Amino acid sequence: MEQLVQEIKSKLENNEDFLLQRDYLADTAIILLGFNTLVDFVKTRAVLQKHAESHLLQNRPPEDLWNAIGELIEGNVNKAISSIYEGKLIIHLADTDRSIIMEPVSTMLDRSIETPANENVIQGALNAFTEGIDANIGIVRKLVNSEELIMASYSTGQNRKKKLSLLYLEGQADTELLKNLESHIEKNIHQDISDLQGLAKMLGFPSWSAISKFNTTELPHHAVQYLKKGRVILFIDRLPFALILPSLLWDMFAIENDRNFPLPIMIAIRSIRIIGILITLITPGLYVALVSVNPEVLQIQLALSVAQSREGVPYPALVEIIFMLVILELILEASVRLPKSIGPTITMVGGIILGQAVVEAKLVSNLLIIILAATTIANSTIAGFQNAVSIRLFKYVIVILASIYGLLGLVSGLVIIGAYLAGLDTYGKSYLYINVKGNESNGR
Amino acid sequence: MKLFKPKSKASITISLLLAVIILSGCWDIRDINHRVLPVVVGISTTDDDLYKVFLKIPEPVEEMTKVKIVSGTGETISKAVDAISRNMESSVDLLHVKVIMIERKTAEEGVKDIIAGFMRSREVSSKALVTICDQDLNEFFSILSTKELHGTTMLDFFEKNAGWNAEIALTRVWEVYRSIHSYTRDVAIPLIAAGKTTTYEQIGSAVIKNGKMVEQISNDETLLFNAFKGESAHGQIEVLNHASVMIIGNNMHHHSELTEKQPFLQSRIKLKVVILETRGKTTSATIKKELSTLLTGRFAEMMAKLEESEADILGLGQFYRNKITRKELKNWRSEYYPNLKMDMQFEIDIQNEGYLRTT
Repeated sequence: MEQLVQEIKSKLENNEDFLLQRDYLADTAIILLGFNTLVDFVKTRAVLQKHAESHLLQNRPPEDLWNAIGELIEGNVNKAISSIYEGKLIIHLADTDRSIIMEPVSTMLDRSIETPANENVIQGALNAFTEGIDANIGIVRKLVNSEELIMASYSTGQNRKKKLSLLYLEGQADTELLKNLESHIEKNIHQDISDLQGLAKMLGFPSWSAISKFNTTELPHHAVQYLKKGRVILFIDRLPFALILPSLLWDMFAIENDRNFPLPIMIAIRSIRIIGILITLITPGLYVALVSVNPEVLQIQLALSVAQSREGVPYPALVEIIFMLVILELILEASVRLPKSIGPTITMVGGIILGQAVVEAKLVSNLLIIILAATTIANSTIAGFQNAVSIRLFKYVIVILASIYGLLGLVSGLVIIGAYLAGLDTYGKSYLYINVKGNESNGR
Repeated sequence: MKLFKPKSKASITISLLLAVIILSGCWDIRDINHRVLPVVVGISTTDDDLYKVFLKIPEPVEEMTKVKIVSGTGETISKAVDAISRNMESSVDLLHVKVIMIERKTAEEGVKDIIAGFMRSREVSSKALVTICDQDLNEFFSILSTKELHGTTMLDFFEKNAGWNAEIALTRVWEVYRSIHSYTRDVAIPLIAAGKTTTYEQIGSAVIKNGKMVEQISNDETLLFNAFKGESAHGQIEVLNHASVMIIGNNMHHHSELTEKQPFLQSRIKLKVVILETRGKTTSATIKKELSTLLTGRFAEMMAKLEESEADILGLGQFYRNKITRKELKNWRSEYYPNLKMDMQFEIDIQNEGYLRTT
C-alpha cells in the first residue's frame, strides 16, 4: 500500500467511522478515504461512476476526469487529513503520489429550514436561519438579490477551524465599522469563537458590558432589513442566528416585522414596547420607594389599602421584593431548562400555586404579586431576548437605589442607566444612535 | 504622613458604594404598615394654655378600615403628637394629614403660631385643608367615635370628586399662612360641626384676619365667595321663589379705580346656569331678573359685613396693588377697604331651559 494512505490510516484508524475503500474509476484503481459519518459513500460512489461513464463515452483522457472531480494534490498528508476532518472525500489514485480532494454527497446532518424557534412572527416571513452557515448565507443572498451584497469569509481558530462570514451591502455599510471589524478579525484570527463571548473578545469588545454588542435575529427577513439600513451581519458556523452590528437601543423597541402593519398600529405597538421597558424598570423600585420610603406620595386611600395588604408581613419591602424577584428568576430559568412537556406544569406551580400560597402565608403582600406579574409581562414585550435579559438585570439597580433613597433613588437609578447606555458604543457609533432622517425604510 | 493612594478603580468604586449605603440612613426607614397615618388633626387649647391634639386615624381591620381617635396634650403641637406616638405601637406620621381642624375658641384667640409651626416643620403638607370646629373638640370627636365611620370620611367631605360642594370654602394651610402676612388678602375657612343625621354639618364659614377669626358668613355667602374666587360654583343649586337653578360656570371682569383714597370697583360676574325646577308660571326673563337681584342683594349684605370687620376675604386689595404705594398698602384694610365702593353686576345666561318653553 502506498505511503500516503498508510500515513493517513495510521493517524485516523483510531476512529471507528474512518473508512478506507478500494474501488475502480475509469479503469484506474483508486482508494476512497473519508469518515462514513460525514460522507454518504453509496451516493458518492454512484455520482463518481456516473461522472466516469460520461467521460469514457466522450473518450476523454482520465486526467480530465481527475481535474473535473476535485482538487488534485500531490503528497501533502496534512492537507489530506484536514480535508477529511472537514468532511471531504480523498480519492487516492493507486500506485501514484496523487490524490483528489472531492466534495462528496454528505450525510444529512443539518436541520432543514424551519420556522423560528425563539422569535415569533405574527404576520411575516416564517423561515429562520439554521446551523449551516452556507444555508444562511444562501437565504440572505436570495432575499437581497443584488450585486451590492458582499460576503467575506474567515476561517478562525487555532486547531479547530470555525467559519465566520461577514456580509454587508456595498455603499450602504459604514466603512469605518467595516474597516475596524476586518482589522480586528484579521488580527485575532486564531482566537476561538465558538460562542458570542469569544467573538466579542475577538472583536475587542469589553467583556463586562451588560448589554450585548450583537443584536441577534433568527429571521432572515429582519437581517436583510438591517443590511439595507447599513448594518453588518456576521454569521458563525453552527450558530442558527445572524449577529447584527452595531446593536442600537432602538432595536429594543422596533422589529422590522412591524412595518407589515399600518403605520398607526406600528406606532401603537412600538409605544407599548416603550411602556413595557419603563414598567419593567420602574414598578419594582416604585413599590419599594412608595411602601417604605415615600408613602406620602400615595393617595391616602391607596396608602391605606397598601398598608392593609402589608399587614402582618414580617420583612421590610426590600427583602420582600428581592425574595420574590429571585423566585421569579428561578421560574424563568427553570422553564428555559425544562423540556417543553414539563414547562407548563412548572409555570402553573410557580405562578399560581406559589403566588397564592406565599400571599396566604403572609410572606409577601398581595400588591407585590400584582407588581411582579406586571413586571414579568412587561419585560417580555422587549424585542430580542438578549435585550430583555439586560433590562431584567437593570431593574435590580433601581430596586436597591429606591430602597435607600426612595423616589429620588428611583429617578437617579434611571439616570444612571441612561448614562450607562449613553456610554456604550460600537467602534465609535453610539448605542443611543437614532436615525432621524426617517428614510430608512426604503434603504437609502 | 503617607497619603492614601487608591490602588485601583475597583477600590474607589467599592468605597463609593459603601458610602452610598453608610451615608443614606436607610435603616431609619419604616415600612408603611408600621406607620399610623392620621388623616385629620384636631387642635384645641386647654384652660392651662396647653395644646390638646386629636388624631383621627384610619385603621385597617380585616377587609375594611375603621377609625380610631386618639388625643394627647403638650406645650407644643409636636410635643403632643410625640406623646401620642409614644403611647402607640406604630409611629405617628403626619405626612398624610389632609384636614386640620381648629377649635373655634382657639381660632378666635389666633392661629398664627399653629399655622407657622405647620409651615416650618414641613411634616404636614402645606396643601392640607384648614377647618374650624364650631363645637368643643372633645365633644366633636367623641360624637365621631360613636359613629361607624369609614376611614377617609372627613377627607371625602372636602374632596372635589367626592363630597365637596360649592358652598364649602377650600382653604389650604399655605393660604392661611399667606393671609397672615399679606396686607390685602384674608381667607374664609369652613365652620364644621357634627351633624344630626349626617356625619358633619357646615354651619358657615369663618373669616380669618391676621390669623384670628373675626366674623362668620353663611353658606349662601360662601357660595358667592367661591364664585368670586373662580372656584366655580359648578353643580350648585340656587333657590328662588319660582325656580331653582344650577350654576355650571362663571367668569368675571373687574375694573378698579382709585380717586383720592376712594377705591371704586366695577365687577361683572357672568353666570351660566341651568334651570332645574320651577314653581308656578315663570319665564326665563323673570328668573334672570330675580336671580340677579337676589345675588346683588346678597353680595352687598356680605360686603357690608366684611367691610365692617375689615377682613378682605375676596382679595379685593389685590386690584389696588399697582395703585397704592407699598407704604400705604399696609393701611389697606383699615383705611381704604371700608370705603370701597362696589358696582356689582350679575349677568345671567340660561344655558338650558329644560322643557319650560313647551309646557
